[in-house]
Amino acid sequence: MNGWMNKIVEVNLNTGKQKTLIIDEEVRRKYLGGRGLGLKLYTDMCSADTNPLDEDNALIFLTGPLTGIIQTAGRYQVTSRSPLTGTIADSSSGGFFGANLKKAGFDGLVITGKSEKPVYLEVTEEGIEIKNAMNIWGKDTHETMKMLKDESSSNISVACIGPAGENLVPYAAIMNDKDRAAGRGGMGAVMGSKNLKAITAFGKKEIPVSDPEGLKKMISTINTLIDKNPVTGKSLQLLGTSVLVNVINAHGMYPTENFKRGVFNDAEGTCGEKIAETILQGRSACFKCPIACGRKTKTSKREGEGPEYETVWAFGAQLGISDLETITEANYTCNELGLDTITTGSTIGCAMELYEKGVFPEKLEWGDSSNLVKLVEDIAYKRGIGKDLALGSKKLAEKYGKPELAMQVKGMELPAYDPRGAQGQALSYATSNRGGCHMQGYLISPEILGSPVFLDRYSIEGKAEIVALFQDISAAVDSLVLCRFLQFAISIDTFKDMLNIVTGLNFTEDELLKVGTRIYNLERKFNSEAGFSRKDDMLPPRFLEEVLTEGASRNRVVQLDEMLDRYYKLRGWDKNGIPSEEIMKELGI
Amino acid sequence: MKNFDVSTLAKMIDHTELKSNSGEKKIKNLCEEAKQYEFISVCVNPANVEFAKKQLEGSDVIVCSVVGFPLGMNTTEIKALEAKKAVEQGATEIDMVINVGAMRDGKHDYIREDIKQVVQASAPAHVKVILETCYLTDKEIIKACELSVEAGAHFVKTSTGFGAFGSFEHHVRLMRETVGPDIGVKASGGVSNFKDAMRMINAGATRLGTSAGILILEGAKLFKFAPAAWLEPEIPCHTCPARSASMAKLPKALYQYYTNMCLKCDHREKYNKFYE
Repeated sequence: MNGWMNKIVEVNLNTGKQKTLIIDEEVRRKYLGGRGLGLKLYTDMCSADTNPLDEDNALIFLTGPLTGIIQTAGRYQVTSRSPLTGTIADSSSGGFFGANLKKAGFDGLVITGKSEKPVYLEVTEEGIEIKNAMNIWGKDTHETMKMLKDESSSNISVACIGPAGENLVPYAAIMNDKDRAAGRGGMGAVMGSKNLKAITAFGKKEIPVSDPEGLKKMISTINTLIDKNPVTGKSLQLLGTSVLVNVINAHGMYPTENFKRGVFNDAEGTCGEKIAETILQGRSACFKCPIACGRKTKTSKREGEGPEYETVWAFGAQLGISDLETITEANYTCNELGLDTITTGSTIGCAMELYEKGVFPEKLEWGDSSNLVKLVEDIAYKRGIGKDLALGSKKLAEKYGKPELAMQVKGMELPAYDPRGAQGQALSYATSNRGGCHMQGYLISPEILGSPVFLDRYSIEGKAEIVALFQDISAAVDSLVLCRFLQFAISIDTFKDMLNIVTGLNFTEDELLKVGTRIYNLERKFNSEAGFSRKDDMLPPRFLEEVLTEGASRNRVVQLDEMLDRYYKLRGWDKNGIPSEEIMKELGI
Repeated sequence: MKNFDVSTLAKMIDHTELKSNSGEKKIKNLCEEAKQYEFISVCVNPANVEFAKKQLEGSDVIVCSVVGFPLGMNTTEIKALEAKKAVEQGATEIDMVINVGAMRDGKHDYIREDIKQVVQASAPAHVKVILETCYLTDKEIIKACELSVEAGAHFVKTSTGFGAFGSFEHHVRLMRETVGPDIGVKASGGVSNFKDAMRMINAGATRLGTSAGILILEGAKLFKFAPAAWLEPEIPCHTCPARSASMAKLPKALYQYYTNMCLKCDHREKYNKFYE
């Protein structure tokens, strides 16, 4: 089929054997690639009884039908069960690894079993080779990438784990192309549990395209749409994702000191504009991306990439810290050790509040940046209090008897938008299948940024419908494996055109949207079999009971119950949030 | 709220590029985009009319030129000459700016004549009269519409996009009610997404002047999946010129005019209650 290399290989690390998986055409059409196909393969191979860190668990790296062809499509998607949340999990990363994997001739890899000794996979046009990784085990991600490139070629892409993944920190990331991260959900720990240190990929194979002339026009259209949209054509280019710091702070929903407040007085010192004035060295772009939102930066000690908006917040306002140099250093350290910056920062913030409440034994105070980088290192190596912090905020707060102080949903820490300032985003957090994440339904787009239109952020009217629509579109885009930022500029109709031009399939917009709906329901089905239900579609009590006392989102709480009822009904789920047999049948699951 | 398909909407959009820093490359892109998306026209400054016309050869897209833009303070003779020249160079629509100061002074004969001269100089091209509604009271907007009709204009238009604020449905509705069904109403300035576009069309606009036409059409494709709430009117204050009046941008008298309008409005209590 055009758009595909038609090769997904299962590599069993117990036996070293490889098996090419036959993907039925109907399955491809129903789930496309990336998040959708990964989910389908995972749920066919594993059950809700599978322990995320057992050798029985599968770890799936997938590209999509547009990978290696269209702007931003250098990405890959990782699917497994999360050791942080216990939910089905997918994590996506930019850069070039996905494109290289595909051009080597592989749409994806399914990793099963566990190697006796540390290994890495070398993927080339000749095939996949399992290689000894003893010499790189224990190295940080940058050193690992450098050693593997030195051994092979500077052209290869490397996706690897750092010490955090090796030490099975449940929120360890997989890093690739230096500083790109499949950050959320602990996919790095799953990789570590298999003694798999890295995957290298490089290839130059031609990817078959159904309509090459149409593709040329489409690439030009995408560039126009990106250029015309104020978010993708200007803000993200000039200031990166940290352009949001001042915007969200002005809306009074920039979480400060573990979401106790919605306004950070020192936001100016850590915003995108400040980054541009101080540490910025240049921009960096993923595969064929004209946006180039990545920030090349430099501190007094070293150079690196970031911080992105979420990271500026996680090590900044969330901890009451406005020291941009230390925030950036903490970001670099997460990248090197392979940690999700959101969960890392948010868990430290939780510990700070536990300390404030007098229940955490170690002195951790708001605004104190002196030990921040060391704390991050301690988490990755599970040393000292790092062992506690490596639990993630949910288990940490439970351990110290204050579960309400963990700002999480289903065990995943919330990102940098206080849900009290945007009711739709609140519902999206609560119903996200992988936990407290903004990526499965980014309602900030209409509620704050006015894209594609402004919606009243305080109103709950129509929010259930919008959340479901955004979640389904996002799931579909994740299955094409494109950057989410394209969603600011491009409608599902144009995504459908891209898919058809590349593959020759004749998808309608409705059919593409239905792929997203199908994915969302199958994820939900897996989660419900794992014991998740309405009780888990819940926000921390802070957002339901305590109002913010200052800023533009003051005097609000989230009206979750009302929105949840409507959302479940709309989805065809029961009052407990479980999909009905009818909806499963209708979606062909 | 009415619904429109994408191609109908495209035929209502003047694809606009009027910034002083727009060189030929931008105008060329503008024309290419207008052809690709089948907008009704490109709206450009007089200096770009000839160039734009050339780029659009063989297509259905027409050229619209602004005149007396953006302040409207040129003499009538110059406006007429500017219009005549633009038509000679290929413009088939002329968007002229009235002398807003004269309108504020109540010099109605002057305004009527100013428009009439441009209409005559532009024939057979159609003329849209830009009122710059942000600087006029409702009464003045009504009067300016009446004068435009009397002078033979084909359209009335809200804004240049360079004033204190752009188009509001309140003004569009007022203009439509005044000119009746046979004269066009163009909403311009601040029409940046599909919802804005629909709001203006439902208030009576038959043409939209915007540089966000592509975004609007792309957004329109999403709306068939969108819940009704997306298209429902927001709290009226969100789309009211009185609530958007800026002390920094408006002259004192007009700022007070809008502030008074807001203070007397029935929606005010609802708005304050909603956000308290």
